[in-house]
Amino acid sequence: MAKTAQEKLDAKAEKQYYKTHKRSYKLTTGDIVFNILNYGFFLIFTLSCIFPFYYLFINTISSNDLVSRGMINFIPRGLNLDNYVNLVKSNEIGQAFFVSIGRTLLGTALMVMASAFVGYLVTKQQMWHRKFWYRFLVITMYFNAGTIPWYLNMSMLGLTNNFMAYIIPGIVAPYNIILVKTYIESIPAELEESAFMDGAGYWTIFRRIIWPLSMPILATIAIFGAVGHWNSFTDSLILMQNAPELYTLQHRLYLYLTTSSNIGALMNGGVSSSAAEGIMQTALNAKVIKYTVSMVSIIPILLVYPFMQRYFVKGIMLGAVKG
Amino acid sequence: MENSKKGKEKTAGYMYYAARIGVLLSVVMMFFPGLNPAKICDYINKNMSLFTSGISYSGLVKQCTRAFNQGWIQESSFVLLFISSMVVCIGIAAGAVMGCMSLGNLKMKKVGNWFGIGGAIAQIAGLGGIYLAYSQVAQTTKPDKVIPNFPLSNWLFFLVLAAVILAVSVLVQVLLPRPAKESKFEMESKFKLFLMFLPFAALCFVFSYLPLYGWRYAFFDYTSGGTLSKDNFVGFQYFTMLFQNAATRSDIVRVLRNTLAMSALGIATSWLPMAFAIFLSEVKSTRMKRFVQTFATIPNFISWVLVYAIALAIFSSDGFISSMMVNTGAWSEGKNMLMSSSHHWLKMLAWGTWKGIGWSAIIYIAGISGIDQQLYEAATVDGAGRFQKMWHITLPGLIPTYMVMLLMAVAGILSNGMDQYMVFDNPNNTNINMVLDLYVYKLGIMNGAIPLSTMIGMVKSVISVVLLFGANTISKLVRGESIV
Repeated sequence: MAKTAQEKLDAKAEKQYYKTHKRSYKLTTGDIVFNILNYGFFLIFTLSCIFPFYYLFINTISSNDLVSRGMINFIPRGLNLDNYVNLVKSNEIGQAFFVSIGRTLLGTALMVMASAFVGYLVTKQQMWHRKFWYRFLVITMYFNAGTIPWYLNMSMLGLTNNFMAYIIPGIVAPYNIILVKTYIESIPAELEESAFMDGAGYWTIFRRIIWPLSMPILATIAIFGAVGHWNSFTDSLILMQNAPELYTLQHRLYLYLTTSSNIGALMNGGVSSSAAEGIMQTALNAKVIKYTVSMVSIIPILLVYPFMQRYFVKGIMLGAVKG
Repeated sequence: MENSKKGKEKTAGYMYYAARIGVLLSVVMMFFPGLNPAKICDYINKNMSLFTSGISYSGLVKQCTRAFNQGWIQESSFVLLFISSMVVCIGIAAGAVMGCMSLGNLKMKKVGNWFGIGGAIAQIAGLGGIYLAYSQVAQTTKPDKVIPNFPLSNWLFFLVLAAVILAVSVLVQVLLPRPAKESKFEMESKFKLFLMFLPFAALCFVFSYLPLYGWRYAFFDYTSGGTLSKDNFVGFQYFTMLFQNAATRSDIVRVLRNTLAMSALGIATSWLPMAFAIFLSEVKSTRMKRFVQTFATIPNFISWVLVYAIALAIFSSDGFISSMMVNTGAWSEGKNMLMSSSHHWLKMLAWGTWKGIGWSAIIYIAGISGIDQQLYEAATVDGAGRFQKMWHITLPGLIPTYMVMLLMAVAGILSNGMDQYMVFDNPNNTNINMVLDLYVYKLGIMNGAIPLSTMIGMVKSVISVVLLFGANTISKLVRGESIV
């Protein structure tokens, strides 16, 4: 973009200003000490957030012999992807992976559509007893019956050992409905009114106007919903007691992590019986299996992470607006 | 003439209420296994509702293979039962259509009534089929194995509802005048909107309100797979047990101590994200800022299972620290630092902080960018230093947000969540690790002590709601704004 002459002049004047007022911008010793400490803290903290992932990763792609001797700490050596290839061969993990992916995609899609539609409906003042119904939804955020009644309810509805148990209860998400509702209220009402004048019904207005215009907030709730689905493991733990084929990846990982660690120190080849039987004959050790499964569970999050970031502030700030 | 027409419409309106209630009840009851009119013998799973009996034949005959092979019962009677259940379900669905259409204009009502009549007849026919299937099954040669048992009350219940719907539909159909030929299907927008909303309200009811009905288990001596009846009603026995039974009481005290300690530590350090944000705003390099913000939020998006995986990778006996120490010769062998129970609360706090601080800081970072820059300029002119500006401008600007967070934390004092404590639980630390949520899970799901764990959950829910309203009242008094 070409700068206009005026802008150039302004920039010049600004530079001149800084030159003449240089002294007031000079850092004092205190400032320098503060900055070093401050930058140092943030650097160390941020590294503590990155390094574990890096450490896991280099250990899964290095030679397993070196890994088991604890030689891989900073630099990967003996690069290979055998661990991942072996993992793919394991039925258990493959199944768990598909269950997790399936619930994430289907659950998120349905949740987003429902939140958008309900969010739109509750903005309509004409709705029969709108206030009551809106409160009916919102109030559920502030109480819950507890784990056991929830479990009994789910089993009464036939939603134990059933894939749909991951999907159906999450469709109506009051918090997300509030977010969407707040967002839709900020869309100029004239848009809707003019469509209404042209004879569009509620459904058409929703599909043609509201849905496309609320994409930013829908993307936000989609991403947070997907992460929630991907990460949740207590529902798998409680509801899928007799259906190991429906365990989520996180649940599987939890089992791998705890079956060995409760036994005690993890030793070479000490793969406990239930953990990853399919991989056992390839003589991998428990440590590498754990690391690799962990990596497989982390990678999808890291993949969507860059796209999520722009929605962070929006997501959390809108959350502060209750209504 | 005009008057009597109005009167008729009014009567029809009242009658519709009865039909709608009937429809609503039958739709809801259709999903309750306890009210299944098709459970005619012991071979039918007690978790089958009328709805599942009507859509899944394989579910219906799951336990019947042997009985069919031995010829105790005829497969044809189960086919009849399945078809009858399906017909009842379809009839109920048609009734639901009628209930919805009754909110429309005259033409809609008239057409809707046909749905009501047809649906009710289908229901009655289906119920008849169920009875027929029962009478066939009752002929069995092995009544002690099959145990035919007609669920009369459930069956009558559905029959009465169907009769109500039928009666209303027919009467209203007679009462209401013929609609004008050119009239279209129309409905007032308030009902249209409501009907679009209804399915979601139903879902919300089923998954958020219906569990409250499970609180009744707290008052019965119930074991998994058993039934609730007058005989095992125990009233508040499990409630008093919390205080009077020594073993339970000591458990509760221990669990409450852990819960409150973790919450108190959380509340005592709840200002950390704010400090994080304030100091981050003092980092002048935009690149560095973005770098920190990008990576410090990652831990928030991984599950506690993965946090535990990381903990193992770093702190277990063959993890990063151990291998570093062994490689440099400082330790002779690796140590599993996760197994030790010393400073457990602080460790849990540290993990929680590590996971959440970057994320919680975002709201404060956004808050800081909303503070008027002129305030800082004015303060600079007045000779305020860095810390004075942080203390007198930034901090007061963030306090309102902080108060909301703090009050929410106080309201959630009994809920630490279960994931974190579950994954870090091991035999060494379980004594100081067991928080309320985890305790309820272990007690109810693992040990099957359903009434006691329901009671604990119930007390917890009530206290939490009271705390939330308390926090809200305080917020209203102090800030003039509510937080919920």
